[in-house]
Amino acid sequence: MNMRLTHLLAALVSAALACAAYADSHGGTQAKPQATPPDHGSTAPLGQRAGTGDSAKVLSTPNPYEGSKQAARDGQQIYLAMNCTTCHAYDGSGNQGPDLTDTRWRYGGLPIQIFDSIHDGRPQGMPSWKDKLTDDQIWKLVTYVESFGGSFPASDWQHAPQGDTKGENESPEANGQFLTPVPGTVPPPSQATKPPQ
Amino acid sequence: MPPSILLHTPHARRRLVAFLSSFLIVLITASAQAAPAPGEGVNPIPAPAPTSVSIPHKSVTGATLNFAPNEPHGQWLSEAHDWANTRYSDLNQINESNVARLKIAWTFSNNTKYGQEAAPLVVDGTMYIVTPWPDDLYALDLTQPGNPIKWKFEANPSPMGIGKACCDVVVRGLAFADGLIIYNLLDDHTVAVNAKTGKQVWRTKLGNVQSGETMTMSPFVVKDKVYVGDSGGEMGVRGWLACLDVKTGKELWRAYATGSDKDVKLGPDFHPYYKWMQGKDLGISSWPTDMWKHGAGASWGWVSYDPETNLIFYGTSNPGPRVPMQRPGDNLWTSTIFARDADTGEAKWAYQFTPHDQWDYDGVNENLLMDLPWQGKTRKVLMHFDRNAFAYVIDRTTGEVLSAQPFAYQNWSSGVDLKTGRPAVIPKMQPKPNIPLKVCPPDIGGKDWQPAAVSPRTGLVYADHFNLCMQVTDKVVGYIPSTPYDGMDMGRYPAPGGNIGEFMAWNPLTGKKVWAIPEKYLTMSGVLATAGDVVFYGTADGWFRAVDAWSGKVLWSQKLGSGIVGQPMTYLGPDGRQYIAITAGVGGASKVRADVRHIKEIQFPAGGDTTYVFSVDGASNSSSNSMMVTPGQGVETIPGPNPPSSPPPPDYDKHKATAPPPARRPQP
Repeated sequence: MNMRLTHLLAALVSAALACAAYADSHGGTQAKPQATPPDHGSTAPLGQRAGTGDSAKVLSTPNPYEGSKQAARDGQQIYLAMNCTTCHAYDGSGNQGPDLTDTRWRYGGLPIQIFDSIHDGRPQGMPSWKDKLTDDQIWKLVTYVESFGGSFPASDWQHAPQGDTKGENESPEANGQFLTPVPGTVPPPSQATKPPQ
Repeated sequence: MPPSILLHTPHARRRLVAFLSSFLIVLITASAQAAPAPGEGVNPIPAPAPTSVSIPHKSVTGATLNFAPNEPHGQWLSEAHDWANTRYSDLNQINESNVARLKIAWTFSNNTKYGQEAAPLVVDGTMYIVTPWPDDLYALDLTQPGNPIKWKFEANPSPMGIGKACCDVVVRGLAFADGLIIYNLLDDHTVAVNAKTGKQVWRTKLGNVQSGETMTMSPFVVKDKVYVGDSGGEMGVRGWLACLDVKTGKELWRAYATGSDKDVKLGPDFHPYYKWMQGKDLGISSWPTDMWKHGAGASWGWVSYDPETNLIFYGTSNPGPRVPMQRPGDNLWTSTIFARDADTGEAKWAYQFTPHDQWDYDGVNENLLMDLPWQGKTRKVLMHFDRNAFAYVIDRTTGEVLSAQPFAYQNWSSGVDLKTGRPAVIPKMQPKPNIPLKVCPPDIGGKDWQPAAVSPRTGLVYADHFNLCMQVTDKVVGYIPSTPYDGMDMGRYPAPGGNIGEFMAWNPLTGKKVWAIPEKYLTMSGVLATAGDVVFYGTADGWFRAVDAWSGKVLWSQKLGSGIVGQPMTYLGPDGRQYIAITAGVGGASKVRADVRHIKEIQFPAGGDTTYVFSVDGASNSSSNSMMVTPGQGVETIPGPNPPSSPPPPDYDKHKATAPPPARRPQP
C-alpha cells in the first residue's frame, strides 16, 4: 500500500512539474507557481511530503496585479467574452457554477488557487483555459474575481485554508505544531515572487 | 362539506383555518356544464348549485382517454403512468371521504442534495427511486416491513455535468420495460438495470458531456423501443431525440432538431399543417449561416405515444443563443412539437409553438393525448401547456391547432392566429441587446416541464404553473466549445396578483380555467389525478396538497421537509392499501438566479432528499404502535406483539380498488 502511495505521489509530482514546464514554455508569467517540493530525502515519511508545509510556498503566490483597477476592468471584459457569465452569473453570484462573491471556495480562494482553477479547469464542469488565455489574461481574470470581494489575499495563505476569519478568537493551542514550517523550505510570504513593474 | 368535519382535533382545525385563510380559492370561470361544487365556511367560494345527489356526476368535457399500457392494476410503470401521459390512477381507496386522514406512512432518504424531480416507480412489489446526480438507483422491497433496500445501483456518472447542466443536476425519472429499469445519466449515457438483481444490463453513450450536453429527461418506452433526448439549450448543443433498442441499448435512429431534412428526419411522409413550415431544409435556411449547428432545440421533456396511429409526440427546446438578434429567422425546428413514426422516426407533422423564440420558451412540455367531442364530432387531440403561456389543443393526426388560449399571465403575444398557426408578437416585447426589458412570462415560462394530469371522470386537465415575469437584458455572445452559449441576463419577479404560483383545473373544450388556487409561492410539481376524485400537487415551499377534482376545494395539506419539484404518484401496496408518494427536495429551475428570486416574504427552502409515502391514517407495514422488531434481524423469536402489518383502514372494504367509485357528486 505504501509503495503504491509513493508511486502515486511521484506521479502527481511529476505531473505538476510537467504542468509548470508547459506553462513556462508557453510564455508563462513571472508569477508561475513553483511546484518543486523541498527534498526531504527518499526515506522521509509520507506524511511530511503530503503536509501543508510543502504547499505553503505555492499558496502564498500573490496575484501580480493585486489591487489593480485596470486589470480588474480588463478581467471583466475577459469574463464577458469567455462566457463565464452563464455559469457564474453576470454579477458573479453563480448559477450552475459556484458563487464567486461569497467566501465558500470548492478549490480554494487564494489568488493562486483561483488561477489554477481557471488555468487547469475543475472536474465539475469548469473548462481549462490554458489553451485559450495567456497566463497574463488569467491573472487579470483573477483580479476581476477578487474584486467581487469573496476571495482571500495571498497573505492569508495560512489562515484561509483553515477557515480563519477576521475578529475571531484563537485558542493558544489551536495550531499546535501543525503549521511550523520545516526550516529552510518555506520563504515568508513577503518574499514571494514580486508583481511586475 | 365544511372543512371542520374533515378534521379530528380542534388544533388541526385551527391550523387548517389559519392555512386556508392565507389564500383564496377562486372560481375563475365555470361553464354551464362545469357546475363545480365548491365548499363553504372559511373557504370563500360560492355555494354549489343544488342538484340531486342521486344523479351521477358527468364529465365536464366528455374527454376520453386511453390508459394503455397500465396493467397490472395498481402499479406505476412509467413517470407519466401511461402512453397518453394522463398521470391518472384508477385507484380510489383514497377519496374525498378519507383524504383528510392521510398521514405519513413511511419515508426514504436518498442522500443527495439536488432537485428531486422524479416520481418513484412501483413494479411487482418493488419501489424504484432514482436520485439526482450521482444518479443512484434504489430498489425497495415493499413486501417487507420497513420497505428495506433490495439493492442499490451506483451508476457513477462523471461529475463534469454538474457544471454543465443549466438548471440543477436533476433526472426526471425512470422507465420500466422488459424486466429493465432504464434511465439517463447526467453525463449523456442511458443505462438499463435488471429490475430484479440491480445489475447493469447495458449502457450506451449518446453524447459528450464536456461539450456542455447533458441528459436529464425520463426515458419513454413503447414496446421494444426506448426514446431519450438531450439537455443543453443554453450550452450550444444541437438537440436530438434518439431511439434505442430496449434489449441491447443500441441506437436505432436519431432525429436532430436543426439541420438538413435528412438529419431532422423529414421525409416524404412529412406534412406540416401550416404553409410556413413547408419547404426544403428549413432547419438550415431559417437560420443565419451555420448557426443551426449550435442552435439547441434539445429534447429534455416528455414523450407521448398514440397506439392507433403509431406516432410519438415530443417537443424541442429554445433556440440558442438566447439572444434573438443574433439569429434572425424562425429558427426551425426549435420550440417545436414533432409527431414521428414510433418505429422509423420519420416525422409525420410538426408545429412550432414559438417561431424565433426570444424569451426562452422551450416547447418540451408534456402532451396529453385525449379524444374530445369538438364542435359536433370526436377529434383525436393532444393538449399542451406551453412555456409561452398558451394552452394548445392540437389535432394529433394532422398538427392542426384547434385552439390556443393563454393560461398564465403573459404580455408577449396578442394571440395565436388559428388560420396560420402563428402567434402575433407584440413588437415592444422583443428584447434588444443591452436594453433591459420587462416581459411575461419569464424564461421558465407560464409553466415549465412539471407535468399536468387529466381525469376521465371530470374530463378536466389539472396543472400547476407560474405567475411570473422577468427583466431581461440580452448580451451578444460567441460560441466557445464547452462553455455556455446563452447571453440572457435575467431576473424573475412576480406578475400582477401577488402570488407566484397557481394550481388550476383547465377545460380543454372552452380553453378556460374552471377553478384555480393561487399559491403565494412557486408551484413546480407534477400533478396526480385519481379515481377517488382527489388530485395532488405540491409547492416549492413544501406544501403537499390534495384537492377536490370537481370543486378545487383543498381537502388536505401536509408541510414536508423541503420544497416540492417532483411528481406525485400512487400505487396499491402488497397489503392491498392505496399509497400516495412524493419526493421532496427543492431545486431544478426553481433555484436558478437565487439572488433575485421571486418574492421576499418566503425564503427559498433548503434542499432535501426524502420520499414521503402517505396512507389513510398512516397505516402501513412500516408503522405500528405495537411493532417491536424488524423481521430478518434474527430476533423474530422475541415474544410479544409483533404484527407484520397494522390492520387496513376501517373503510378499506368499502373502497376496495375493484369496487366502483363512490357516487358522491354533486352534493347539496
